[in-house]
Amino acid sequence: MEIKTTGVAGTLESSDIQVMLSKGDNGIEINLDSEVKKLYGDQIEAVIKTTLTSFGLTDAKVKAVDKGALDCVIKARTLAAAQRATKTTDKPALEVL
Amino acid sequence: MDDEIIDLYLGRPSGKRMWTDFLTSLGIHNFSDKEIKQIDFTVGLKHDGKLVATGSVAGNVLKYIAVCNKGAVSGARFAQLVSELISRQFQRGVYHLFVFTKLRYVSSFEHAGFKALARSDYGAFLENGTPDVHDYLSAIPRIPQQAEKKVAGIVMNANPFTLGHRYLVEQAAKANDLVYLFVVNTDTSLFTTVERMRLVQAGVADLTNVVVINGGDYMVSYATFPAYFLKTPDDEIAYQTELDARIFRDVIAPALNIKTRYVGSEPLSHTTNIYNQVLVRELPPLVAMQVITRRQVGEQGYITATQVRCCIRENDLATIETLVPTTTLAFIKRHISDLQARIAAGQQISGN
Repeated sequence: MEIKTTGVAGTLESSDIQVMLSKGDNGIEINLDSEVKKLYGDQIEAVIKTTLTSFGLTDAKVKAVDKGALDCVIKARTLAAAQRATKTTDKPALEVL
Repeated sequence: MDDEIIDLYLGRPSGKRMWTDFLTSLGIHNFSDKEIKQIDFTVGLKHDGKLVATGSVAGNVLKYIAVCNKGAVSGARFAQLVSELISRQFQRGVYHLFVFTKLRYVSSFEHAGFKALARSDYGAFLENGTPDVHDYLSAIPRIPQQAEKKVAGIVMNANPFTLGHRYLVEQAAKANDLVYLFVVNTDTSLFTTVERMRLVQAGVADLTNVVVINGGDYMVSYATFPAYFLKTPDDEIAYQTELDARIFRDVIAPALNIKTRYVGSEPLSHTTNIYNQVLVRELPPLVAMQVITRRQVGEQGYITATQVRCCIRENDLATIETLVPTTTLAFIKRHISDLQARIAAGQQISGN
């Protein structure tokens, strides 16, 4: 799977997460901003990474601003951003979730 | 309870009145036409039929953001508003955003994913999105063992590239191992950004230790430095230049090991003179300043790009020949009617 453009999903409102995906060439690099990074940072990054990997992306720059999102939200936002970035929104890859 | 997001149309008297009344009630009073004309779109939040928050976008800069927190959880309206502005920008394909704000609001924007690039006593400058300043810096070519080399930086608009610019670059190239030559990116000059870049590249092609780079959004751009292009009061220029100087000092120079910044002395342009004074105050001791005295040419005095532009208007190729290198001259000769047409169409030539 190839990233064709920058893809974004999510908002900055409470309980949401905003995920921005752009081209990378050094594996999946995650830049996470979260109030609860100390407690859940590793978990959030792991969820993003797993979602992207099972979607088929190996290289990407990820910028995420978390506002206390649950795992299911993180997965959904990451997948939406990935499908926008790869221009595959016409075929929802729901099996990734 | 969520507030309703609405579009505000400043082109309509009713929308503009609602917007100015709200901003005035929160202490914002500068509604100059010059500022408002740049705004691409404006959104608002409505609660019980009343405007409680608004924000605008001009290019890639968020502007006129104001929120009234009365009757709401602190920060909730701000988050909703900024989310809306950001996602609309993304839909327009603008993934890289800037904001100027007062120091006390910096943390609010940081919660929304913005990162501060520079701060001064008056305000701060933040960016968000991609490609950010780290992507910009990592894309700049480097030489082996750059950390031990003598590296210098020059920033110029070069509208167009003259013998004066050439002299400045030569002085820097002689005294350093590597010279980064940043060309101002903002496209408001008589010569377009692409043309200015190309003429600079052609004009320094023989200097092997000079690297020409687009200054991007970080050097004297619209985002950092609107006052440079718009003749405005001196303190505004000083404030903008202070931020510009600090980005160079704290972000650009350390990443590239730039130890000296070269500028030309500025006896003629008022704005650029203030800019140079601020650089002298802000950059040392982290980055040394090297002011190169302008070369005097015969009886005409100094070489300036302004003079070249006036000669283009007057169709005075003989004078231009004495002011610019052959590469620039060839371009002007080829395109003189086109350039004159741009001037006739209202392009300002007296500024920088």
